[in-house]
Amino acid sequence: MADKGFLLDARGITKSYGPTHVLRGMDFAVAPGEVHAFLGGNGAGKSTLLKIVADVVNRDGGTLNFDGHSVDEPQGAAARARGLAIVHQELAVLPHLTVAENIELPHYHRGLALFDRRAADRTALSALALIDRDFAEHAAHRLVGDLSLHEQQMVEIARALKSGARLLLLDEPTTNLTAGEAQRLFAVLRRLVSETEIGVVFVSHRMREIRQVADVCTIIRDGVAAVHRKPVTELTDADIVELMGQASALTETPVGGELPAAVSAAHVDAPRLKIEGLGFPVEVGGGAILGLAGAPAGPQALIDLLIGAAPLPGVVIRIGDHPQGYRSPREAVRDKVGFVSGDRANRGMLSALPIIDNMLASRRIVERRVLVSGKEAAQARSLLSALSIKASSYWALPSSLSGGTQQKLIIARWLQLQPRMLVLEEPTRGVDIGTKRDIYALIRVMAQAGTTIVWWSTEQTELVELCDTVLGFGPDGRATQLLHGAEITEERLAEATGMAA
Amino acid sequence: MMRIFSSYRTEIAIAVAIVVLELALGILVPNALTFGNISDIAQASAPLIIMAVGVLLVVITGGIDLSVGSIFSLTGMVTGLAMNSGYNSVLSTILGLLVGVVFGGINGFLVTFVGLAPFVVTLITYAVAASLAFIVTNGHSLPINDQNYYLLNGGTLIPGVPNFVLFCVVLVIVTEFVLRRVVAGRWVYAIGSSTNAARLLGIPVHRIRFSVYVVSGLCASFASVLSVSYISNAEGTAGEAMMLQAIAAVVIGGASLFGGTGSAFGALLGALMITVIQNGVNLIGINSFWQGSVTGLVILVAVLIDRVSKARR
Amino acid sequence: MPRQPGLRYLLAAACAVIGLATVAAHPASAADKKLTVAYIAPSLDISYWQWVAYGAKTQAAKLGMNYVEFTSENSPGTQMNNVRTALTRGVDAIVMGPVSSSSTPPILRLLKSKNVPIAFTGIGPQPGSTDYTSAVTANNYETGKAEGSFVCKAAKALGGNKIGMLSLPQDRENAQKYLRGAKEAFAADGCDLVQVLQTHGLTVREAVDQANDLLTAHPDIKGIYGMYDEAATGAAKALQTRGLVGKITVATADGSPTTIKLLRDGVIQGLFLQEAGGQGIDATTQVFNALTGKPTTKDIPLAEPLVTKDTIDSPEAQATIKRVYPPSAGAF
Repeated sequence: MADKGFLLDARGITKSYGPTHVLRGMDFAVAPGEVHAFLGGNGAGKSTLLKIVADVVNRDGGTLNFDGHSVDEPQGAAARARGLAIVHQELAVLPHLTVAENIELPHYHRGLALFDRRAADRTALSALALIDRDFAEHAAHRLVGDLSLHEQQMVEIARALKSGARLLLLDEPTTNLTAGEAQRLFAVLRRLVSETEIGVVFVSHRMREIRQVADVCTIIRDGVAAVHRKPVTELTDADIVELMGQASALTETPVGGELPAAVSAAHVDAPRLKIEGLGFPVEVGGGAILGLAGAPAGPQALIDLLIGAAPLPGVVIRIGDHPQGYRSPREAVRDKVGFVSGDRANRGMLSALPIIDNMLASRRIVERRVLVSGKEAAQARSLLSALSIKASSYWALPSSLSGGTQQKLIIARWLQLQPRMLVLEEPTRGVDIGTKRDIYALIRVMAQAGTTIVWWSTEQTELVELCDTVLGFGPDGRATQLLHGAEITEERLAEATGMAA
Repeated sequence: MMRIFSSYRTEIAIAVAIVVLELALGILVPNALTFGNISDIAQASAPLIIMAVGVLLVVITGGIDLSVGSIFSLTGMVTGLAMNSGYNSVLSTILGLLVGVVFGGINGFLVTFVGLAPFVVTLITYAVAASLAFIVTNGHSLPINDQNYYLLNGGTLIPGVPNFVLFCVVLVIVTEFVLRRVVAGRWVYAIGSSTNAARLLGIPVHRIRFSVYVVSGLCASFASVLSVSYISNAEGTAGEAMMLQAIAAVVIGGASLFGGTGSAFGALLGALMITVIQNGVNLIGINSFWQGSVTGLVILVAVLIDRVSKARR
Repeated sequence: MPRQPGLRYLLAAACAVIGLATVAAHPASAADKKLTVAYIAPSLDISYWQWVAYGAKTQAAKLGMNYVEFTSENSPGTQMNNVRTALTRGVDAIVMGPVSSSSTPPILRLLKSKNVPIAFTGIGPQPGSTDYTSAVTANNYETGKAEGSFVCKAAKALGGNKIGMLSLPQDRENAQKYLRGAKEAFAADGCDLVQVLQTHGLTVREAVDQANDLLTAHPDIKGIYGMYDEAATGAAKALQTRGLVGKITVATADGSPTTIKLLRDGVIQGLFLQEAGGQGIDATTQVFNALTGKPTTKDIPLAEPLVTKDTIDSPEAQATIKRVYPPSAGAF
């Protein structure tokens, strides 16, 4: 059965955690010289399979061959150890070391070996140059901790490319990348597979990317392969969504200026958010959705200003009757300005605290609670059921939930508080299509209730679909254009952000 | 009920271990189970429990307080000196407690507002307070001549309950209540879980972090005045061994030095465990040099149990 | 880790302050021609060594010498550094409480080559050494024997023969000598040593806990033998709490204002006074004699005389106590 030609060949993989069967006979095979999209909803068993492939988790049953040899034998195990490189969604970089050290250090296996700094710089440079020559030239000696998230991601991909791996496993690699950077990455991947016959597994929730870069796809659903090695061109978007078991997500009407007239009209005459000092005035009314587009530098600085996390010299904001902006996140939250981050580990989730504390964290501050009241349990229950989150108990830790569900939980913090403004920083990062739809719906409901929404996304389709107004930022972090209503198209966005694909 | 069981899993395991240890000791040395010995254990563990509760709060925020032992010593010397200089016992006690507030405040200020690492800051105050403890009396230990001062420790505000037991129980219950049911208590955990996320959520990170260091210093001072009252004597080296014991107690009680977890009941049980071991080693008549090894092993076992029970979830 | 510029300033400031202090302290000794004696203590947080220091200091003043002191923090390495520092500072003689006897030979070699006299206090040099001026020590073995005999007889008078001991750490030589003497006395007088508990931190608090444990494990003991001052203070506290004062006899070596008061109050029965201050006085006198060409005495074993409630106010006892601790420590 096993095709000798496959780099990776997994057949009938099973895995259970206690009574939960995560994988029930999953097949997955990758041939050299292809970009293979691996798709599936949150909780379908995608990450478990990837962990089994990467030897992080042991499988319960099934066969797993690497380069024609079973990984249970020394030959296969060695082939896997040599030939597999993984870029995780959660970055595995060493912030205190330089870019060159980050790329080269993993290749030193003996602690007593001398670290050849020049050779390391050279190889690091050549690896980085595969992705971005400019970046390569100025970044090799910088500390990785000083880089932005997307630059760190590039370092990690460069490391994987450099390792001489034959199978490259990219787990949502574009999450931290801007549209332009993603395009460059795809070009690199296409060139690599055609020139070097390596295999690439590409995990993504973004339909457009899959179409752009992948040759074949495998879709996992409920622990088995719903589609096994099918060319992407043979499937329509609707097919893919349906095969992932998220057909209902598509039947929902897309948004964008479809608010009931009465609701939107009610807020037009009550401007809530004014931003001055960007070069042109920005003003959005209550209940409007303001999108931020572009490389992280600009949007992130503006977001930090809006939520009181850091000042931005020269820029003045006025939120309702609060003229000077906020001096601290605490002041902002007390004034009912909420913040939701897609960077859950660092800026969102309190991972050591149970679900209930996470959900009610903002409410406790807004309402200036002193005691943890008995009513909170009921509030937590109602929020969980409103979001149709299946949690074993709200006393469980958030890590018992999938990433997408955790994200809904963070948004839920603000759900019943009727915030004046909600600032979202890539809230759909690493979230599957079905959950994305849920999140869009939540945001729309809040906007209809009069909350001003500020939404930064690197996914342009998202901005086009949801926003009333979009503020574009160039690669240098400066605001470039303000687009309204029908002006918001992917072409105009690309132009505004200086990232014409 | 189930929730209580599952959220106090570690604490229950330690409580069971203490009971088992005590019963085993009872078989070897029948006197170990007498009321007198149990009350000795309570008396001996009281200062450590109080100190551990303070350290716990700091540890939950992801910090560490190495200065508590020295604050304990210095508080004793200041209180003793004040009483020997003719101040009445109430004023002297307040002066002693002020030592904890001041040093805790210095710790909190340097950690929170200057942004220095807690380990470094409390290492500094540890050294300074320890040397001040000798400087204030030139190294002499001080007898306490006020015959009634022992009442602070051994008297009874509630008939039948010695004060040291009362103080411990009240402090532990109040702390546990604050940690579980008061919003500020949840914030302590939130800061330990992710400082950055906590700040963006609008939690007053600075205020809470500063406060835990002050409370930690105050607890160490309070433990010290109780101890001084008990032994009618203040010594410059009194707290030297206690800093590591307090941290050990907190860790045995299930707190993680990375922050975000731990409970006051755990700290209480951890401190009791350490005292029970000391008591057991003495009663059986094992060379007391073994005490450290036994305590070390118990910490290892406690941490392993905690790890295994968490891995199962 | 975030960078901490604040810490660097702090360190720089600390270094500057320490440096200035050292410079400021230095010229004082270099300027005049007076002889200088250095006292090197094993650790100055123990009051016993502070009292030795007091004796050495007052005697140095009396003899017209400059006085400097160092603490070795119980480390032979620090002790050696202290000796070198003292020599660099140009001291003429050294009075030392060594960290241990076995740590002394390299120091004796060094001092012999520099021709600097040294007198030991409390703990003597390695047996067999000859290159030292004097060793002023307490006769721990004889004291151990005398105290054992005293406790045993008192216990028998109370109707029992079981004794518990609160010991110094048994890795110390003086502790071993006390124990050997005590055991011999018990064997001779027919007493039974049922338990020995060793201290770690020499604190009263620890002694209270240990005394309590001792009384729980062996409720039938009639005597508590203490090797250090805090032992008796702790035992006294335990007896007071249990209402056993007078029913169990307590004796200890050393002596301090606290234990002398307990003796006067009848809570403890016997004190074997160790003349801490006296050791400092005698050792300083010996090195002064060596420097000025007067005769010296190689070994001075000081007896540790017994005082009881009845004898405490005798002139001899009062004279001895004045050689134990300075007036600033408390009443005699």
